[in-house]
Amino acid sequence: MSALLEVSGVSVTFDGFRAINNLSISIGEPELRAVIGPNGAGKTTFMDIVTGKTKPDEGRVLWGETSMNLLGMSESAIARAGIGRKFQKPTVFEDQTVRENLAMALRNKRGPFDVLFYKPNRHARARIAELAEEIGLSDHLPRRAGDLSHGQKQWLEIGMLLAQDPRLLLVDEPAAGMTPAEREHTTELLTRAAQTRAVVVIEHDMEFIRRLNCKVTVLHEGSVLAEGSLDHVTQNQQVIDVYLGR
Amino acid sequence: MAKVTLAPRKGFLSENPSVLRFLGLLTVFTLIVTALSEGFGAGIVSTSFLKVLGMTLCLCLIAVAMDVVWGYCGILSLGHFAFFGLGGYGIGMWLMYARTEGIVRESLANAPIPATEGEVRDAIATQIFSVVGSTELPFIWGFAHSLTLQLLMIVLVPGLLALVFGWLAFRSRVTGVYLSILTQAMTLALSLYLFQNDTGLRGNNGLSGLQNIPGLLHLPQSTIALWFFWASALALGLGYLLFAWLVSGKFGSVVRAIRDNESRVRFLGYHVESYKLVVFTVTAIVSAIAGALYYPQAGIINPAEIAPITSIYLAVWVAIGGRGRLYGAVIGAATVSLLSSWFTGGGAPNIDLGFYEIVWTDWWLVLLGLGFVAVTLFFPKGIGGLFDYLVRKP
Ligand SMILES: Nc1ncnc2c1ncn2[C@@H]1O[C@H](COP(=O)(O)OP(=O)(O)OP(=O)(O)O)[C@@H](O)[C@H]1O
Ligand SMILES: [Mg+2]
Repeated sequence: MSALLEVSGVSVTFDGFRAINNLSISIGEPELRAVIGPNGAGKTTFMDIVTGKTKPDEGRVLWGETSMNLLGMSESAIARAGIGRKFQKPTVFEDQTVRENLAMALRNKRGPFDVLFYKPNRHARARIAELAEEIGLSDHLPRRAGDLSHGQKQWLEIGMLLAQDPRLLLVDEPAAGMTPAEREHTTELLTRAAQTRAVVVIEHDMEFIRRLNCKVTVLHEGSVLAEGSLDHVTQNQQVIDVYLGR
Repeated sequence: MAKVTLAPRKGFLSENPSVLRFLGLLTVFTLIVTALSEGFGAGIVSTSFLKVLGMTLCLCLIAVAMDVVWGYCGILSLGHFAFFGLGGYGIGMWLMYARTEGIVRESLANAPIPATEGEVRDAIATQIFSVVGSTELPFIWGFAHSLTLQLLMIVLVPGLLALVFGWLAFRSRVTGVYLSILTQAMTLALSLYLFQNDTGLRGNNGLSGLQNIPGLLHLPQSTIALWFFWASALALGLGYLLFAWLVSGKFGSVVRAIRDNESRVRFLGYHVESYKLVVFTVTAIVSAIAGALYYPQAGIINPAEIAPITSIYLAVWVAIGGRGRLYGAVIGAATVSLLSSWFTGGGAPNIDLGFYEIVWTDWWLVLLGLGFVAVTLFFPKGIGGLFDYLVRKP
């Protein structure tokens, strides 16, 4: 397992408030990693930094075998380099159909002229059908995404993430608004994806984390408080004080 | 152009029957007007009204372009009339130059010593530029002698302006109201620049006599007007086809996604700025072509034509017609511009209220403003949306 993503010594300040404080995290490939921590710990901001949405004040974010510096890259270039993201609040394109949403995410050339002359082939159609099956939206392909339920939008966004076929999946609270059965299905999807790629999951639901059965990083006030197996971190007194004991 | 680009997606027209319906209606309209025209048929449609109809088709074309850039891509450009005007100036330069050249050569033909080419050029320059106190041919008229080169300029100059302006604006991620203001500033700057006498485009005199087509002076205006009407209809048809193809399929999907949530599109790996630039530039070029067909029918172009307000009207037409649907833009532009010329041209009878007389030339803008407010409040999808609603009802 070699490091695919290497975040080191990163700090971010919002109007004088230090949201991320000298944060260092390393993710291997393949790996499944859970990130937990109290509200405002900086979990989402960590993903914002990796995906180029937020530029840190200091620190380094390196990617891949060639240790590409992600900090100098635009959001779209980072995504093309192989980092996909699911947002905390489901963000799909509500005015477009489920099929159009998936087709846009599907891994293909992204340049305007490539897209202009793009013609969906049999392979692309089959892949969309397969993804729709996986996220339980087979019967909803022609539906407007805005008409889906909250849980279905979550699924659609997970489907879009898988469609991108990224090397690193950053998944922010995927289980929110899902039924227990759906949560189980999500766990299964994520663990399966993590067999061949890196997956980072932020969740508050401890039962969900337990089922992921992976290394856990606990964030607090913008830096790593503890790291290790779930049993290991849940026995940590500091973790109990700031997070579990609330 | 449209034919080539259409090749990769067969079945485009069968998947988009509304495009076919629009083209059918446009053809029928063109045939009927032709049959009623002075130059060809019954003479019920006068030549001056034929020109109004031809110009309206050009306005519909720029409205469709505006709908693509605003309604589909979410860029509220309030500067597309700058490109329209540049197209008009582009064709106007050739029209004026070539016609003046004809006159000069004719008058010099009787001179005892044959005039040199340099003398011919000087005489043309004097003829065109004496109104602004100059006898020099400005360097920007360097291609004006050649129709081919000048046609190329009609595409290249507005295209390059849009490319550079768009690149600067989109790269700095200027969006929303700020971008609209920036486009207003662009068209205002261009218009103020052209108002000056020493810019080589005759200041506020503009270019005139554009209805006289060099080489075709023996033909009556009724015939010329018909030709331009046909050309305008053809341009609208092709432009509509091009844009309908552009906004369909995956490209259209990405463009609409940019309109609704551009940062999300970035996280999918699309370089949003490039898409905006393509849309902005293509619509600018089509606007320029619309302008190049409009002004020979109008007969005159001057810098007031690209005053900031004209581009705002364009947005109003599209909003009234219904943005995000191409035929909506056509309906809006045709309805409002025809009504406008009816009201302001004295077509509408004034209403005497006894204590006050409503003179439509003064009150038309108030009416338009009220109409705009009413549409925004009660029919946010515009006339086009209303149309949908009626059609869907059993
Ligand atoms: N763009 C921003 N501007 C100002 N403050 C911000 C911004 N983004 C995040 N913050 C602040 O940074 C802190 C960390 O936020 P973040 O969203 O990363 O927390 P989180 O760990 O994801 O919390 P939650 O579990 O509630 O999602 C919070 O106090 C938040 O208010
Ligand atoms: Mg969060």
